[in-house]
Amino acid sequence: MIKFWTKRVQLGTLTRYPQLDKELQKIQKEIKSHVKKKFAGSLAIRMVDSGSCNACEAECNALANPYYDLERLGIYFVASPRHADVMLLSGVMTFNMTPHVKDAYEQMPEPKWVITMGDCPAMEGVFEKSYAINAPANNHIPIAHHIKGCPPSPREIMEGILEFLKKM
Amino acid sequence: MRFIARYAKELPNEFEIITVYEGKTHSEKIPKDTPKIKILAKKHPAAIWFERKMYDDFGIITEDAFDTRPLVHQERFPRDLHPLRKNFSEINVQEDIYRPYKYEAIQGDSVFEVAVGPIHAGIIEPGHFQFSMAGEDMLHLEVRHFYKHRGIEKMLEGKTLQEAKPIIERISGNETIAYQLCLRDIYLQATRQELPLALQKRHAFLLELERIIHHFTDLGFIPNDAGFGAALAFGSKLAEDARRMMQTLTNHRFGFGAISWQNGFVDLLGIKEELERLRQEVAFFKEWIMDIPSLWDRLDTTGRLDIKKALKYSCVGVVARASGVAIDRRINPFYIEHGFTMASEISGDVAARFKVRLAEVENSLEMMEHFLEEDETSMILQSVQDGSYSAFAESSLGELYMAIDIKEGKIKRFFVRDPSFINWQALHIMMRSDIIADFPLINKSCDLSYAGNDL
Repeated sequence: MIKFWTKRVQLGTLTRYPQLDKELQKIQKEIKSHVKKKFAGSLAIRMVDSGSCNACEAECNALANPYYDLERLGIYFVASPRHADVMLLSGVMTFNMTPHVKDAYEQMPEPKWVITMGDCPAMEGVFEKSYAINAPANNHIPIAHHIKGCPPSPREIMEGILEFLKKM
Repeated sequence: MRFIARYAKELPNEFEIITVYEGKTHSEKIPKDTPKIKILAKKHPAAIWFERKMYDDFGIITEDAFDTRPLVHQERFPRDLHPLRKNFSEINVQEDIYRPYKYEAIQGDSVFEVAVGPIHAGIIEPGHFQFSMAGEDMLHLEVRHFYKHRGIEKMLEGKTLQEAKPIIERISGNETIAYQLCLRDIYLQATRQELPLALQKRHAFLLELERIIHHFTDLGFIPNDAGFGAALAFGSKLAEDARRMMQTLTNHRFGFGAISWQNGFVDLLGIKEELERLRQEVAFFKEWIMDIPSLWDRLDTTGRLDIKKALKYSCVGVVARASGVAIDRRINPFYIEHGFTMASEISGDVAARFKVRLAEVENSLEMMEHFLEEDETSMILQSVQDGSYSAFAESSLGELYMAIDIKEGKIKRFFVRDPSFINWQALHIMMRSDIIADFPLINKSCDLSYAGNDL
């Protein structure tokens, strides 16, 4: 453990993608100020997967890595829809998940918003309508904002959240 | 003889049941009006999901089955609908009345059940776990999945391989390169072509890159589930670095559409430097993490799967190798020539699976360096010929099996067996001597796919 901290102190802050980090910093700053203004500094997001390929989830997990570090900006991924302001929905709304997604939505306290991420929930992706797919998601729950991409990169998700914060 | 997969095909007048074993395929034809098969699950426990799925998909009944509950179709799915039959073409299925699913449960004094899912607390895919508990001890676990069932097998029917490719790439985001490699091999068989060595190396490089991304994530998440968050910060950083390498090489962070018929490595020197840097980081990570006794106290002896059970349940991938079973589709001259050594442990616990992942990352980084080549090879595909083709690939989770029947240039039957489909069925064996707080740790150490399993 000592070794870890010694290395940490010796290295200081390190960046290998200065241009990207600069752009990210700008987005982060804006997100932080909007979250502060509109959500009193804390925006709770409940991530629900309604039948994705897991790439969207992987990118959401990446938001917590040291490069993006969303929690620093006051955005938390919470464990229950009852703690959430926003539901982040990915996937094609499978037949089997539809009732559970609706249930999770009902459990969220008002005011609440749903942001869809990735091409799947809007049926803009490669998947076609099948017996097991109920997308588009807006047939089932109201959607406030959509983040495009297959999957959207962490940066695109951050930009999407910022867009949503700006328009609300 | 290791059991691999069992699935059905619809022919004009009968059903064909294909059972795939290691090195052998068995085919059986049954009449369409009374479709009945003999149970295989008594000999190979992992066959049970295949048999239950066959009923849901085709209405094929398993004689003397001890479990006739639906698998893929859930509470509200209409009974007696068998979507994979050729005469089924409905795409709007209406919700039927709610029929409760009867979970496997242990009964007795002070035994209670804990239901977890389908939506979980973290950022993960949906699936349901039903525990039978006595105090903190787990007596039994039933894994129930298929919440993410998208009907991909049906969706791909009637498409050409070219049209099917973008969908196959997106069956499971964690294993996209492996799925594409299976499709590539099927392409090559169907066009009767050979792959130039340079392309083979590029594809193998990408497969190993996908493997290290997945393993880095797990090497962070496993200690995190034992309460050691610093490892997650480290592991997720390495995963992001590797993912950015994937972006540079394929223009996609996950490698969707990456397996092409053209070679073109960019900036060889840059990649070599990056690999060297990753190797140093991994060496540092290993030295650091191996030296934390309180972490190993949690990982050691937790979630044990012994070799007998691993063999009985036909386990594959990291799970099998951590229990001392030597299964790896990369055991072949091409890989061995480029420095492949199989990672293996015998204790079969969370610690073993962690160590196998670590060893595989080290080996993959070494192989990736050997796969690098400056070359501009490209190949032109001939037209696809009809027939039945199948292929294997070793994804980051384990052995992937894909079979495609092509008729008049179009897919007639598409079948995939994700490694998770087998390994999920062995998960309940691993938690016999553990408490419920160990479950996330055990689950993460196997890190199975839900999307690939549910299709």
